[in-house]
Amino acid sequence: MRSALAPALLLAALLPLSCTASDDPDLVVYCSLDQVHSERILELFEQRTGLVVQPQFDVERNKTVGMVNKIILEKDRPRADVYWNNEIAHTIRLKNAGLTQPYASPEAAGIPANFKDAEGHWTGFAARARVIMYLPELTDGAGGPPTRIEDLLLPELAANGGMAAPLTGTTLTHFSVLSQQQGSEAVLDWLARAKESGLHVGKGNADVMRRVSQDRDFGWCMTDTDDAAAARRNGHPVEVLYPDQEEGGKGTLLIPNTVCMIQGARHPDAAKRFIDFVLSAEVEELLANADSEQIPLRPGVPAPDHVKMPGRDFRAMEVDWEAAAIELQARQTDFQELFTE
Amino acid sequence: MILAALRRSPKPLLAAAAAATFLAAWLPLLPVLPPLFDGQAFRDLAEPRLAGLFWRSLRLSAGSALIAVLIGLPQALLATRVAAPGRTLWKLLLPLPLLLPPLLLAQAWHGLTGMDGPLASLFALGVCYAPFPALLAARALERQSASAHEAALLCGGRRLALRRMLAVAWPATLLGGALAFLFASTDFAVPDYFAAVGDKFAVYPAEVFNAWRRADLNPDNAFASYAEGMAVAAPLVLLAAAVLLVALVVGDRHSAEDAGSGRAPGLLDPGSGRIPLAALGLGLAALLLLVPLGRIVFETGHAGPEAAGTWASRSQAAFGDAVERGREDLIRSVRTGALAGLLAMLVAPVWAHLLLRLGGGWRARLLQVALALPLLAPAVGVGLGTIIVFNRDLFWEFYDSMWLPPLVLAGRFLPVAVFLLLERLRRQPREQEEAAALAGASYGQRLFRFRIGPARGAWLLAGGLVAVFAVRELDLAILIPAANHSAAVRYFNALHFARDNFVAAFGLLIALVLFLPVMLANAFRRFSGPEEPQ
Repeated sequence: MRSALAPALLLAALLPLSCTASDDPDLVVYCSLDQVHSERILELFEQRTGLVVQPQFDVERNKTVGMVNKIILEKDRPRADVYWNNEIAHTIRLKNAGLTQPYASPEAAGIPANFKDAEGHWTGFAARARVIMYLPELTDGAGGPPTRIEDLLLPELAANGGMAAPLTGTTLTHFSVLSQQQGSEAVLDWLARAKESGLHVGKGNADVMRRVSQDRDFGWCMTDTDDAAAARRNGHPVEVLYPDQEEGGKGTLLIPNTVCMIQGARHPDAAKRFIDFVLSAEVEELLANADSEQIPLRPGVPAPDHVKMPGRDFRAMEVDWEAAAIELQARQTDFQELFTE
Repeated sequence: MILAALRRSPKPLLAAAAAATFLAAWLPLLPVLPPLFDGQAFRDLAEPRLAGLFWRSLRLSAGSALIAVLIGLPQALLATRVAAPGRTLWKLLLPLPLLLPPLLLAQAWHGLTGMDGPLASLFALGVCYAPFPALLAARALERQSASAHEAALLCGGRRLALRRMLAVAWPATLLGGALAFLFASTDFAVPDYFAAVGDKFAVYPAEVFNAWRRADLNPDNAFASYAEGMAVAAPLVLLAAAVLLVALVVGDRHSAEDAGSGRAPGLLDPGSGRIPLAALGLGLAALLLLVPLGRIVFETGHAGPEAAGTWASRSQAAFGDAVERGREDLIRSVRTGALAGLLAMLVAPVWAHLLLRLGGGWRARLLQVALALPLLAPAVGVGLGTIIVFNRDLFWEFYDSMWLPPLVLAGRFLPVAVFLLLERLRRQPREQEEAAALAGASYGQRLFRFRIGPARGAWLLAGGLVAVFAVRELDLAILIPAANHSAAVRYFNALHFARDNFVAAFGLLIALVLFLPVMLANAFRRFSGPEEPQ
């Protein structure tokens, strides 16, 4: 019996430790942005306001399986007050499902209208751009990197490039936007041809980024600006090209972070204070200066030279985000069937 | 009179264990069961794409389990029963691959060899889960009847003695292989990684995730989004259950062949083979552990040509960052793991002993499957089930508390502890317990003093493995509120965002923290001597 006492006593000793760790927070934030960046913003908010924030973080492979399903399943007794999503389509899906509530933050005034919900359910800020990242030494003499998205499949370019499968994250959002704009048949046909073209289709943006910058398997890839920034941060001499900038071109897709208040939030006042804070020019500046190099949506926010600004350094694509989110729901199964085999 | 009868009866402890298991393991599964029996997923397997994914998963898992057995069994023999130099070190290193995140090992192998595609995935998963057959076989080999071993040596020399050892280790090895199969069949990250760095391929768990990703956001029927993922997982759950059952049945049939004895068996003298065997042990350790570990250490400071600083400065910064940013998460994870392990250590002996008393048959099989269910079901499903069950007014405080993660994690990994203990208890003579019963000892005394006491090494190992898996668990950690601030979430979050130096340093830090108790347990065993003679 003595043997059984050891774990029983240890359990008893750990009991107080476990109970003290569950103080009721002043605010619960579900967050899909890089933990290293977002927790610094959250800590700054805590310092400024004295509020205790309990963040919950997501992981890429679980995206939407994690936070979004959690919000749905908790809808009768919501735990989250705020959802800080690092993209936009699933936030709109949550709104359409009635799981968000409107809050028109005064801090959102400077943010362009196409990056915020007309009813105030969500607001975009600090975006990533969908770009072509390339290693000049592998693309010079090999046709160079493509300058338009539709050129990705050109026979002389495809075998030297890669992209992520449109199953999660920004690539899923990107192809949902294209499907909504060009029609699903055209996009599904393009993706089917992509599989046969020699283009390397990887699992995620960071994966194809690594295959270019680190493994040097091919010369260019379509990825996000924060992945390209990670490649540079890791010491790889990569360059970035903003696609579709030619005369009459569609422009480069910008995918913002979004923030929304959850329907039935237990701490609505703290949630509003946090949304005001995260939408401030100061936070956009912080995120632009962080090593993920998020692009401020608000004109005039100071950003380092290497962070390219829409309207000044490149032309951004016009997007109907509500329609794109609906298209994402409709096309997701088609994309999965094409790329899960 | 009644109290005395209750003390001697197993029923009170059994009821307590059943209540704990119900709360920890079966309650979060209640919403899972109906979708699992939906049947649509089996009909969908007629579709070539899904059938292809399923058979690929089956081949990968079977291949990984085979590699785990082929590596684990020789390791166990070398570490426990062969008089070759380095035996103590090999034994100490046996569990190490289990302590490292499989993805970290996969990255190390890719970095070392450039391997990719399905075969690389098969190999990496086999290496990662080789400790299952190795540890279980090692336990069985240490408990071989000394007299049987000596008789085999006298009658047939080393060859027959070795055959007897393999026969003794076989059921435990098979069970270890089945656990390796189970873990490999649900692993999504390693195949995903090898598909990302080379030829693209998908596995069936990817389709399970797809089902959750495409979930219709219908708040009026939130359960629907949850049910589809579980329904799609059904064929995989059934397959893993079948493999586990076969291993358990074989274990039942062969375990009676060698029930241990009062003395520890001797070491097999390989004669002139000592040096080659020592070289084999060193080779295996180097191949499976030291070389990948070296690569991971290299990754802590590895960067492109334009990176600032030297390798040493980057590595130092990465470790500093890992300690600074990850320390609190790691402490929380270790605490959660320790609690989960301790809970399993209290509950698992009761179930193992009951299974021992049932001695096989359909009741025992049914109980084994019931205990294994939380491990067979996808972790995301268990996590979503936990939300459905515990996010209620009744459990309002408990849902957010630090108690929920260890409870659910203990429930999920309890079968590992039960099966390991059962395998060990089968090799004990029952005379001591019977004598204690005749002397009027309570059931608790009989179980913990006369059964678990002599098997405390296996008991600690069972609790330790549950703790390790609890620390490593990612999917549940994302979904359960108090588990979210964990080492696993921070590790995988950093991995996605290409913080390669940090990921390597933090992975090593996690492994080191998990390895410390193994080293301490080893030191403890040296000071306290071997487990009690049987």
